[in-house]
Amino acid sequence: MKREPFARRLAIVAVAFSVAAGALVVLALLAGASPVDALGALAEGAAGSRAALGETLARATTLVLTALGASLAFRAGVLNIGLEGQFLAGAVAAAAVGPLLSGAPLVARAALLAAAAAAGALWVLPAAWLEARRGVPEVLSTILLNLVAAAAVSGLVRGALQDPAGDYPQSRALAEAVRFAPLVAGSRATAAILIAVALALLVALVLERTPLGLKLRATGLAPAAARAIGLPGARLRLLAFAASGALAGLAGGLEVLAVTGRLYDPFSAGAGYTGIAAALLGGSNPLAAAASAVLFAGLGAGSSAMQRDTGVPGALATIVPGVLVLAVLAARARQTGNEP
Amino acid sequence: MSGFVAVTLLLAAPLLLAAAGELLLERAGSIQIGLEGTMLIGAFAAFAAARSGANPHAALLAAAGAGLVAGAAFAAFAVAGRADPILVGTAWNLVAAGGTAFSYRLLAGATGSVLEIRTLPPFVFGLPAAVVGAFLVPAVLQVFLQRTRPGLRLVAAGENPLALEAMGGSVVFVRTAASVLAGALGALGGALLVLTVSPTFVEGVTAGRGFLALALVVFARWKPLRLVPGALLVGGATALQYRLQAGGGTRIPYAVFLALPGLLALFALAAARGRGGAPKALGTPAPRRRAISPRPP
Repeated sequence: MKREPFARRLAIVAVAFSVAAGALVVLALLAGASPVDALGALAEGAAGSRAALGETLARATTLVLTALGASLAFRAGVLNIGLEGQFLAGAVAAAAVGPLLSGAPLVARAALLAAAAAAGALWVLPAAWLEARRGVPEVLSTILLNLVAAAAVSGLVRGALQDPAGDYPQSRALAEAVRFAPLVAGSRATAAILIAVALALLVALVLERTPLGLKLRATGLAPAAARAIGLPGARLRLLAFAASGALAGLAGGLEVLAVTGRLYDPFSAGAGYTGIAAALLGGSNPLAAAASAVLFAGLGAGSSAMQRDTGVPGALATIVPGVLVLAVLAARARQTGNEP
Repeated sequence: MSGFVAVTLLLAAPLLLAAAGELLLERAGSIQIGLEGTMLIGAFAAFAAARSGANPHAALLAAAGAGLVAGAAFAAFAVAGRADPILVGTAWNLVAAGGTAFSYRLLAGATGSVLEIRTLPPFVFGLPAAVVGAFLVPAVLQVFLQRTRPGLRLVAAGENPLALEAMGGSVVFVRTAASVLAGALGALGGALLVLTVSPTFVEGVTAGRGFLALALVVFARWKPLRLVPGALLVGGATALQYRLQAGGGTRIPYAVFLALPGLLALFALAAARGRGGAPKALGTPAPRRRAISPRPP
């Protein structure tokens, strides 16, 4: 991932947000609603009340973690497009381990999240191996692993993991004592968001302020130069693969632990892909990516309210992140195109 | 023709069209991982045209038109704009999934009722002409890539872009043309889905078929004729899955069949040496003109 001066990145983001705001207005008009009403309802639904804010934060956990995973991988030059699959792997691990756990909630939660992170890291390993040993582009292998993960979830909730108490394609529910309780009454936000914020700070610290982070970034920026000064490129890439997979797996585990309480099919509403969009909008800077993820989460929460109040379809929340990323890519291509 | 074979062919045809388009684009050196989105655009365009009174063949044409525009738009970002095609494709999927869901809701309202459209009429063996035509596309593509001048230039754009530029060709032009064609084929694949098997549009109607088509290209190691067995395998697996579900039998094979194309493609990649027959310049930006012109004194 190429790095740009701060002023240039700011200009690119400004352009992108103008385009996205324009897209919001146009989409509202297309739906026959007043843009002012629609945007008002969107803002109200994202942050207008304790419940709205809670909804945004509940959605943000998953997106922040997948955005962090994407940022970390991209900065190390690893194009992990398979966060969706790693997210599902983490959710499967949580759904498999979760119902067996009882006793001290803290220990149970730690075990569940460790299993989820490990599953996410394991799920990306075939791609890392294929890339290192066989020269297979990780873009292809990680997408294929997404397919396999979605198929596995579909089969598991109808097979080995199916709740024996019902006919639904879903796994057994976690014990209430193990699940996260809301932080404040009347809100869906749980301690999961605190974990996500802590990890955002940790990833930013490691990536920007430690020798290990410097090595990872060097491998991503200039692989040949990094090799020339003796950095273990293959090992660093493997670390980036595994760490980004673990973050996405953790996101899946937290989704089960804090939001859904069980696994069902289809489980993900594209968390992996929206997380990638957040990372791209944030220029693969962990904190900026996390902020973008919270923004997209607010967009998701707000658009539900907007659809209810003004009739503008909530699918707008999927369009706008895509438009933002396309605008960033186009603006960046224009700027680098003008370089001497 | 027995029901099972007919359903297999019906289900294989959309995959075959989409994969053939993607193969063309990848042989030219670009890659559109947003093929799922392009298929959705085609499916919705066909649905919208049919709902506004077009006959099924006109709906197919409308989808092809939408696909041409989609392919040109992708090329504007990923080829002429030289943005990373992988990143463009990721955003593309979001915009297409959201855009078609948004438009469908505007068209259908919040009623939630199923809006059926007329399907394509049978041509031979109870199959529509477009389905039969889909099976000819890989053969045409094979001849085009191996035996025609534009086809060879396209392959050069994917294998050695600098050589093509040195010969006076334009990598941007070739890849844009390939992207436009790939867009039309991907959209036709999506349209075929709603004009044959499931005569309505629902959000995400393509159900991962775009990603399966991407896997098929890898599985076929970028050779057009090898797409056919792969598509038949996936189509047959899906047909079998329908049959098992209808028969109330076990549903475990469902997941196995669902995972099969992805797994097969992974094994094909693992077994192959290097990038498994991928074009050498796959995913790299088109060279800028000044990169190959001699330096001024």
